[in-house]
Amino acid sequence: MHEETLILYYYNDGLSSSERRKVEAALDDDPGLAARYGRLRAELDDLADSETPVVPSHVMHRWHDAIDGAAQHTSRGVEPQRSFSPLSFLWGAAVTAALAIGIGIGILLDVDNSAPETGPEASGAFSRGVAVYLRDTKQELAAMPAHMSADRTTLILDIIEQNRLYELAAEQNDSSDVARVLRAFEPILLRLAAEDITPDDAEALRTQLAFELEVILTKLSRDSSNDRQST
Amino acid sequence: MNNRFKAPAVVFALLLTGFALAQDPVADVEDTDETLKIAALHALMAAPPERALPLVTRVLEADNTHEVKERALFVLSQINRPEAGAQLLKVARRGDSELRLEAVRMIGISGNPETLAELEVLYASGDEDLRASVLEAYLIAGDKDTVFRIAQNAGDADEFEAAVHMLGTMGAIAELRSLSQSNGFTEEIIEALGIAGGDDVNATLLEIYRSADTEDIREAALEGMLISGYDEGVIELYRASDDVEEKRQLLETLSMMGSDGLMEIIDEALSSGQ
Repeated sequence: MHEETLILYYYNDGLSSSERRKVEAALDDDPGLAARYGRLRAELDDLADSETPVVPSHVMHRWHDAIDGAAQHTSRGVEPQRSFSPLSFLWGAAVTAALAIGIGIGILLDVDNSAPETGPEASGAFSRGVAVYLRDTKQELAAMPAHMSADRTTLILDIIEQNRLYELAAEQNDSSDVARVLRAFEPILLRLAAEDITPDDAEALRTQLAFELEVILTKLSRDSSNDRQST
Repeated sequence: MNNRFKAPAVVFALLLTGFALAQDPVADVEDTDETLKIAALHALMAAPPERALPLVTRVLEADNTHEVKERALFVLSQINRPEAGAQLLKVARRGDSELRLEAVRMIGISGNPETLAELEVLYASGDEDLRASVLEAYLIAGDKDTVFRIAQNAGDADEFEAAVHMLGTMGAIAELRSLSQSNGFTEEIIEALGIAGGDDVNATLLEIYRSADTEDIREAALEGMLISGYDEGVIELYRASDDVEEKRQLLETLSMMGSDGLMEIIDEALSSGQ
């Protein structure tokens, strides 16, 4: 079984119910696989516990592959199974840790290597990563409780944190257009996190963000399709 | 021939007809109309820009709801053509007040340098809301130079504060330092430095605190450290101080910062003299 599948299984993201059941069955039947998953889980638990995750490059690569795989999976028209519950903040925390790892790729490009990766492959991976992030954010916003609560505020602040990291990654990948859009989301997210916002205003902002996220997703998809046609 | 956008005529029809659904209640018809128009605007993103542009422009010029026009402005911001920038600018200059502010934001998102430059003219003649939107547009576009120029030429203290605050948010440390050369380290600049944060800034804030001539500047430097999360600096000041009132204030700041070093400091304070 591929490590990407185990990573997605760990984060409870990107796998359908039947795929999750298959992973569970395989873990029950195969002690070797269960041991491998145990090691991976410990590694990812450590990363999630760390306040500032220092991400080993091999983990980053695996996570990146997993993101790519999930993006391809979704682009084939299979809706990923999401177990997000607005009542459970644990999911948000897991996603934050996961995205911190994912974004670490962009940040560490400059730290680990003398020159950042360039060219169509790196650019394609970045676009897919952003697409996954935008899609996840849209789903999180849609599932967010309508009324202000501590969970909602924390969730929005988490999204803002992720948004800043992706903005940084966009700048490092020479995607200033994506960086600008992500920067433009932040004031709206901050308004959405305000304690005194009315439900109607919150709904209007959420609808606006949902539309803008969708438009950018469509644009990224169009651009990537144009790139494929021109090569 | 790009065949991915197969039905521009359908989208065009959706955008312009109004979807007459005579048998439904008026409100439902309006809701459906708006929903479909917004869906059509989204669909336009898959179209070649030269085909999408005239349709979006007509949506803005027609008698559509505020929400539909707002969505149209966002789509325009994603069309990388000078005509799209010109259209955004037109709304920013002459639209109704809310739509103007949204158009300004979209100009920031579009990042077109020529259109962004025109915002400076709008800023000069705009009210407070418009000025705030223009600053936000420059934040979105990452245009530190123009915000710096606005701060330099600010006509009053409020305008200066807003521009300096935005420079802090943009992490424009060099520009803030440059402003301090002509204005000194004012409270606004110190606070903005705290927002920008970073090791160099922290060292500067510590230096400003130590050499402050007035209590206001000292407090601003402490607030800057609070904002930048520089608890090591506050601990350093605490340990160096012999003034009980100052120590109390520094302790309060550490408490607000949730500093890891707070317990150690409290322990030291409680143990002293034993």
